[in-house]
Amino acid sequence: MNKKPAAKTKVSVSLKKYPIETVRYAAHAVSCAARVFIRTAGRDTAVAEFEPTGRLPGAKIAAAFRAELADEALRASVYAANRELRDFMILKALSAQAAPPPRQDDSGLTPEQEKELDALIAQVESEIKQEAASGAASDPLGITRTWEDKYGAKKSRKKN
Amino acid sequence: MTKKQNKGGLVADAAVYSAEALQLAAFVYSDRAEISIKAGKGVFNVSFCGEAPGFHPGDYMNEVLNQQCRLDLAKQNSKAAGMIATKALLSAAGGTKKKA
Amino acid sequence: MALKKAAKKTEPAGPPQLLWRRDGASCLVTNDFGQYAWLKKKDFDLLLAGRLGGKHPRYAALADKGFIRDRLDFDGLAAKWRSKNAFLNSGPGLHILVLTLRCNHKCLYCQSAAAGPGARDTDMSAATAKKCVDFAFQSPNPGITIEFQGGEPLLNWEALKAAVLHARGKAKKTGKNLSLALVSNFSLMTEEKAQFLMEQEVSICTSLDGPADLHNRNRVFCGGNSHAATVKWLKFFQARHARQVPEYRVFKPSALLTVSRYSLGRHKEIIDEYVKAGLEDVFVRPLAPIGYAKNLWGQIGYEAKDFADFYLKSLDYILKLNRRGVVIREKMAAMMLDKIVNARDPGYLDARCPCGAAIGQIAYNYNGDLYTCDEGRMVGWEGDDAFKIGNVRKDTYRKVLTSGAARACVLSSNLESQPDCARCAYKPYCGVCPVYNYEAQGSLWGDMATNDRCGLFKGIFGALFALLKKPGNETILKNWVGK
Repeated sequence: MNKKPAAKTKVSVSLKKYPIETVRYAAHAVSCAARVFIRTAGRDTAVAEFEPTGRLPGAKIAAAFRAELADEALRASVYAANRELRDFMILKALSAQAAPPPRQDDSGLTPEQEKELDALIAQVESEIKQEAASGAASDPLGITRTWEDKYGAKKSRKKN
Repeated sequence: MTKKQNKGGLVADAAVYSAEALQLAAFVYSDRAEISIKAGKGVFNVSFCGEAPGFHPGDYMNEVLNQQCRLDLAKQNSKAAGMIATKALLSAAGGTKKKA
Repeated sequence: MALKKAAKKTEPAGPPQLLWRRDGASCLVTNDFGQYAWLKKKDFDLLLAGRLGGKHPRYAALADKGFIRDRLDFDGLAAKWRSKNAFLNSGPGLHILVLTLRCNHKCLYCQSAAAGPGARDTDMSAATAKKCVDFAFQSPNPGITIEFQGGEPLLNWEALKAAVLHARGKAKKTGKNLSLALVSNFSLMTEEKAQFLMEQEVSICTSLDGPADLHNRNRVFCGGNSHAATVKWLKFFQARHARQVPEYRVFKPSALLTVSRYSLGRHKEIIDEYVKAGLEDVFVRPLAPIGYAKNLWGQIGYEAKDFADFYLKSLDYILKLNRRGVVIREKMAAMMLDKIVNARDPGYLDARCPCGAAIGQIAYNYNGDLYTCDEGRMVGWEGDDAFKIGNVRKDTYRKVLTSGAARACVLSSNLESQPDCARCAYKPYCGVCPVYNYEAQGSLWGDMATNDRCGLFKGIFGALFALLKKPGNETILKNWVGK
């Protein structure tokens, strides 16, 4: 079945007005309706290309993208202005919770794992208790690491 | 520039897409195509082989964009995300006290 | 309420962290504390610019909800956040014991990966069932719910009985609050079994897919009429619930609806059937392309928009019945409303951040293998152990809860790490499912831009917030989740 690819619609965006992260997210927000390609054209311009995948025509996708750009810029500014306050509020909420009961004696972990976990717990405990919103973002459990980084490639789905 | 280089590949702008996002998306698509990524000057050359029926490079690029947005967010948001995930895991694991 | 006054400044303070969704001339705004407000576009613009002044008619209400940056009640808002996310402190409360994979039904959509009635090697032994109970009681959660599932769990009555008695003993010893639940098709229920279950205060849940023809088409029972057995025992437990005895509590039975392709277009008949059966909740659940159902998707599945249409029509019909005085509610909407209206966690593990996988629930397979959730177990049955977190005989509780799969599910279902969710106005009430993402989109994280489950949830939230705008509906819906 050879379907003729839908015509592409291009939108140029000034990177002086919108950072590339904003362009990426606005494009992603409309990726339910189109295949999206982004490239830069010189230092100050990004070009987003939309190939519709459904019924929504390219012009409407482009309009939705422009609206998302404006909203995303607003979101970014609200987020930037509140980041520390928000982290503080979450920390405050978490730190007021009652401590859970002590763990079992036999953890089933190797001594190395125990050591690693204890270090991790100490790090998190001090963070939660301190209520200090300042300082570098901690990542004790490897939040920013991907599943693939940690657990390797996909397993075969065949039954054993 | 992100455009078709030849029938089996495309060129991704390194100012827009990171190698990590390209690789993560290649992993997600590993059951639909074998995807290899080579760094060039300011670009990544992406080639496809063994594509499953229905595979489209544009769908892969949408996944790259998804991964890239996730990486962007992680840079911004890792503190809040880390606190919530850590609290959830440690509470569920049953306590934060060290052995006596 | 200790409100902080703004320091003197020349520039107006912008808004605190908030999320929004534009809807024509108005805008829905929400925040981390589960508060929401509908604003006209010009008021939203004023709020964003930090120029919605103290004399504005909405100012006080918005300040109370945490939408005015220099009027934040830190203690009160932190308490709201904490209450909304109380599950972060508790650990797994739901423990699903799959007592057997055997089943005497051959349901079209069966996700339980059931084996035939003769395949006894897929039964959980009484010893393993007790081990599972012991394991469940290691959770720090002060409330433990043990749910018996299958296959058809009544096919393994001895293990069920042993687990129930053992759990009651454990609860007495530990002081934990124990709830027991059975999910059964009722085809093997007897008065003797029912009596034991009632005496042990086991709550009963069954499947009811609608009127007899539809139910029996979805839920094929070679040994008879599935619908007749279901209705008969629903009535039995309802009657026993109505005339309580002093020795024990008899719970009102409940039922689950699974919407197959054949259900579409029959929402009125299905809901009427629930009302006729004396049920007060109908949980309109979509099929998920997980496990067995994934392989059969072409035959029994449907597009997300078809289900959304079915769901919204069902909701509309239920509200019409409510206006006529009929008591019935849609359960998913009720759980979402509890979050929206009461800013509390109704215990819906699928819509938490992070989701309930491992940290809120554990699925125990017949052989003692442990999975993040029942959906994860179904993926395991298809030969992929991505969601296996250990074995009840081999691994300790702590090792299981810190396993790779448990961590991966927590990380990937954390909405703070999901680019679309982190920006979505429905985030304070929503949750993603790593198993669904993995099965439908090939990764635990998924891509919410094209994720059908996300599309469905957005549709439900959109409908609920729109309904809450209208005073007549608002009263009915708030009654669903009255405190």
